[in-house]
Amino acid sequence: MKKLLFAIAFAFFALTGYQAFAQEPELSPERKQAIDSLALEKVRDLSKYVKLIGSKNTPWSEANRVIDRAEELFAPDAEIGVSSLSKTKVEYYKVRQYLERLMRLNYDRVEIDWYKIQYVSDLQRQPDGTYVGVITIFQTFKGYDAEGRLVYQDTTKKDITVYVKRKETQIGGRLIGFWDVLLGDMRVKETAH
Amino acid sequence: MKLKPSDMLKQLKSIVVFATIALVTICGVTSCGSSNKLSKKEYKARVEQATKDLNAILNNETAWTLEEQQARVNEIKKTDFSKKNPEIVEMIERAEAKIAREMAERDRLAEERRLAEEQRIRELEEQNKPKTSLTEYFDMIANAKDVVSANSAIKEALKLFASPDAVVLIRLNNYGDYDRPTTAVNYLNYIKDQKKVNVSVDNVKYNEKNKITELELIKK
Repeated sequence: MKKLLFAIAFAFFALTGYQAFAQEPELSPERKQAIDSLALEKVRDLSKYVKLIGSKNTPWSEANRVIDRAEELFAPDAEIGVSSLSKTKVEYYKVRQYLERLMRLNYDRVEIDWYKIQYVSDLQRQPDGTYVGVITIFQTFKGYDAEGRLVYQDTTKKDITVYVKRKETQIGGRLIGFWDVLLGDMRVKETAH
Repeated sequence: MKLKPSDMLKQLKSIVVFATIALVTICGVTSCGSSNKLSKKEYKARVEQATKDLNAILNNETAWTLEEQQARVNEIKKTDFSKKNPEIVEMIERAEAKIAREMAERDRLAEERRLAEEQRIRELEEQNKPKTSLTEYFDMIANAKDVVSANSAIKEALKLFASPDAVVLIRLNNYGDYDRPTTAVNYLNYIKDQKKVNVSVDNVKYNEKNKITELELIKK
């Protein structure tokens, strides 16, 4: 009897959930394109922030401000993977912890560049209306000593999960509908010279 | 001679018609005479009132406006004073000249005041007008040679805003899709960090001090 009730309840919620999902209008190709571009832009923004935070030329106060801005791009519990050619294990850090470590790296000069920033999995709408996708990036890291010699270099491929959710807020008596882009975990896929 | 009753009736009718015409004519003439001619008493009263009013106008002893004074003079002029009281005609001429002079002076002063007000508004607008436009500041910040000059441009640009926390909206398209709302100070710093401007100004709301309270940008 309990099993039957559970089955009925499950069927009811599954059906109503499906109906709610089905009632949400599909985004037109133009609007979908706009949020695709927005999510990609957030990752590109992050690449600039990472470069600034890692740079030894960035004043301390500026780097801290940029850390705040970069952290805002991520979902609260997101983690970032760190790999090294000398270690096989990938370490994962909370976003703020990762960014603060990046600021304090023990090199005299650091160069970080991201390239080939693109979707590996397009944004797909989930039953709760959130769009989820995966963007891949390649990062080159170069660390120099006081004499200007390159002492460490690697290239890492990383996958970043992106979440895009429609939200609304009241501004000046107007209801503004906006797309909130949040980056999720940044997973290391490959590390090479 | 004896008249027949029917002839008598005809004559009576003629008399009645004649009498009626005569009566109407006499009444008509009398009535016309009463509208054109004033009684001595009435004329005297008009002379007194006209003299009093004209003196008040000439000696600035009336609270009437210039238009009311002119209307009163026009009313006085309807009575012919030229034969018995030419001094009133002379007063009318002086009063009219005075009113015309004062009207001209008043109009001149009003024009001066209008021009002065226009000048004041122009000066105020010039004073509040930003020396550098918002989009010029965006470019200055994005292309600044270093952090110090970028921060200096941000400081200047923030003077255009009512507050550093003034709302900045970034519209993605014309379908009501926006990016997450931000603030003036954060957006200007974003331009500094990203070294790019990929938006154009779409709408700006100002407060009474001509400072930006809400900025709406649109993606290029």
